[in-house]
Amino acid sequence: MDPGIALQAVVSGLAQGAVYGLVGLGFTLVYRLTRVLSLAHGDLVVGAVFIGLLLTVGTTPVVATPSVPLAIAQVLAVLAAGVAVSVGLYVVAVRPFLPRDGSAGRGSVGVPGWVGGTLAVGLLLRESLGVVLTRETYAVADPLRLDRLDGGDGIVALPGGGTVGVRLFGVLVLGLALGIAVDRLVVASRVGTAIRAVSEDRETASLMGIPTERVVIIAFALSGLLAGAAGILAAPGGRLTLAGGVVLGLKGTAAALLGRLGSLRGALGGGLVLGVFEALAVASELFGPAYADVFALAVLVGVLALRPEGLRAQAQVPAE
Amino acid sequence: MSAIDVAQALWLLLAALGLNIAVGLGGQPILGQSAFVALGGYGTVLLADRADLPLGVAAAVAVLGAGLLGWLVAVGSSRLRGAHVALSTWALAWLAFAVLTAFPGLYGGSQGLVRPSPARLVSRFLGVEVVLTPLWHIVIAGTFCAATMVATRSIVRGPVGLDLAALRAGPAAAESLGIPGAALRRSTLAASAAVGALSGAGTAVLLGLIAPADVSPLLSVQLYVAVLIGGTASVLGPLFGVALLVALPGIADVVSGTADISVERSRGVVTAALLVVVLALRDPVVRRLRALLPRRGTAEDRAASSVPSPAPEGDGGHERAGSVQGEGRVVLQARGLRHAYGDIVVLDGVDLDVCAGEVVALVGPNGSGKTTTLRLLAGATPVQGGSVLIEGRDVTGLDQRGRVLAGIVRTFQHTALFPGLSVADHVRVGARGTERGGVAWRAVLRTPSWRAAAAHSEAVVQSLLQRSGLAARPAATSEALVHGDQRLLQVVRAAASSPRVVMLDEPAAGMSQEELGRLRDLVLDLAGNGAGVLLVEHDMRFVAAVADRMTVLAGGRVIATGRPADVRTRPEVRAAYLGGSAQEGSS
Repeated sequence: MDPGIALQAVVSGLAQGAVYGLVGLGFTLVYRLTRVLSLAHGDLVVGAVFIGLLLTVGTTPVVATPSVPLAIAQVLAVLAAGVAVSVGLYVVAVRPFLPRDGSAGRGSVGVPGWVGGTLAVGLLLRESLGVVLTRETYAVADPLRLDRLDGGDGIVALPGGGTVGVRLFGVLVLGLALGIAVDRLVVASRVGTAIRAVSEDRETASLMGIPTERVVIIAFALSGLLAGAAGILAAPGGRLTLAGGVVLGLKGTAAALLGRLGSLRGALGGGLVLGVFEALAVASELFGPAYADVFALAVLVGVLALRPEGLRAQAQVPAE
Repeated sequence: MSAIDVAQALWLLLAALGLNIAVGLGGQPILGQSAFVALGGYGTVLLADRADLPLGVAAAVAVLGAGLLGWLVAVGSSRLRGAHVALSTWALAWLAFAVLTAFPGLYGGSQGLVRPSPARLVSRFLGVEVVLTPLWHIVIAGTFCAATMVATRSIVRGPVGLDLAALRAGPAAAESLGIPGAALRRSTLAASAAVGALSGAGTAVLLGLIAPADVSPLLSVQLYVAVLIGGTASVLGPLFGVALLVALPGIADVVSGTADISVERSRGVVTAALLVVVLALRDPVVRRLRALLPRRGTAEDRAASSVPSPAPEGDGGHERAGSVQGEGRVVLQARGLRHAYGDIVVLDGVDLDVCAGEVVALVGPNGSGKTTTLRLLAGATPVQGGSVLIEGRDVTGLDQRGRVLAGIVRTFQHTALFPGLSVADHVRVGARGTERGGVAWRAVLRTPSWRAAAAHSEAVVQSLLQRSGLAARPAATSEALVHGDQRLLQVVRAAASSPRVVMLDEPAAGMSQEELGRLRDLVLDLAGNGAGVLLVEHDMRFVAAVADRMTVLAGGRVIATGRPADVRTRPEVRAAYLGGSAQEGSS
């Protein structure tokens, strides 16, 4: 591969990978607290974006860059929609199927329940939005105006002759900053301590006086916020479609599994690795653009078969 | 409804009946049936039209290929818990869909592949040529459906059905009794995938068309719903579910007509709504149905009460000297067991001996490695260092099933029963662990050797139920028992495999005085019949009442072994229990 093209692929892969990382991060948060592998997380991302757009500009999203107040309203609406849908998902599709001690992993009793529940919510969200938004794809303007970062034409020349949109750098920086912020929040803040306590042992945390139910809801809200943010960063690329939600969610899951399932930093790092490898595969003569989804899904199926707790998982003391 | 619609509905039913094998019987949440249907459909069309294979051969190859893929997926997911299986098969469904749309040169893109219809089945060898009209499809698909239903039904009612029921209700407990969980999951998923592929092949040949939209992940969801509707392990369930699925396009058309939305959309919405309804109503409906149907156990109740109860053996309790078969022979020998979870060393060179007819208590403070020792001896955790011998035979490399066959079995610290199964069935599952392979076929054929073996193990089951005092309600489900009886049932279930060594992990936990007495009698009974018993227990009075020897673990090492009364008074044992010295204290 030409080094210029390779560099171009790496940069755009990193930006795309930051989005996968955010999706994976939200997926991981939910998994850590409930041991639920949400099948609706990708629909959450596209759902948040399209609900936010419906609320602010109606059924015909326009390409023109929104005014500053409208842009702020859009961002807030998307994030709020993400939070609302994620908490709704928990209440409707996850909570009824959790055993009383809150661990979905121990017995397999509740598994068919929340598998079906998250599937149903995802499908219902996707299809009911599709009833209103009838077009296959929507061009979405960037409320953050990341494409005007350089104040010029928005194109950056890379060494070796390749070019990328300046927007990608904005996506990468914002995505990483948000991801690291959430990781810090969980590591260092009081809420984060509670989240870690509940993910370690919900029953004990409850006995120590931690309001576990509230903590789980906060985690789902945070997960929805991350989904909304990922949507805002990804949507203006024009690749976000309603039908593509599931695959985006599965790519986020793959990102989470490239680290250690349950590790927030691992999900973020896994996203970057997945994004770069996907971009390189797509840019190479050997594979090509057709492999964009095939590659990531094959990675997911492969990792699940070989290392179900993640590539970097360690041996655990059996729960007995 | 035209003949072609009926034929298509029957092929769809076949895919659901296939999925029922993995979901209903195998208890796995499989969301990837569309991938196997796609493999069958596309495989058949590609092999028949591009590779010029005869149609029947093409379909057979595609079906075998799908079965192999299903088997591989199950191999990959053998270490996965249910949730991961759902995720991995869901990803597989999307992977198949992505592959089909990504390479239009091979798979015809979103238009799919077209072939002449009705197809001709030509055999020059037999000199026949059959035009596969929709009527033929109805006959063929109907035959396959009937065959799948009959096969499923005979499995459910046979001994393998009992294994599967135990595996669904309590996977860890079932595997600890020697039920080959991974092998059963592999074969159910392979069968499920192969039948799904057959359905795909049939549909493609019937319609002369196969396109990605027909085998999209939505189909996986619909089939999963169809199986869930009928409840698990029910043979007629998928039939009812598919009836709904067949009606679904009609409902969707009505919705799309009245609400002015596309048919595709309205199918998705209706499917999602159906899924929601199923999840909301499943439990009440299944409970209602269960109440209507006769239970598996009622006939057994009568049978059990007519069996003459064997004379209580060794009922005196303690006088067992001399009468024990082969007493003094070492049945379990562990040497230098080492184990570490990551950097934490849990066992650091543990030696253990248990003789036939001997009760050895393994005691020690919390975290001293007692349960880990039992896990290593039972094969639940691979041995990192050291060796395990059963009657002189090295079993270190064997898995749980291999160890149960070699004659060592254990119970769990927590109560792990099979909810929904009767008391007698629990014990039968325990007896199943030592029956060797090939039982399924012999059971279906009811060969004389199988009948003799079945009668023998049934006698063992009934005798154990009598001796343990659990025979009063053999058809009651385990949830209906009081806590002490549940703990006793766990012991009886493990003992049903007639093991050389029984390992009991805190069997007395939470028992009343009366129940403790029954447990003591049962343990002494097992030892009296020649089994070695390794007992992990905190209740020292119980240990004193049953144990011949006591071994004390602390910090992953054996610090004392000998007669209980002597060992208890030793200073190092007291120190370990009271947390005296740091080296020997609890870790």
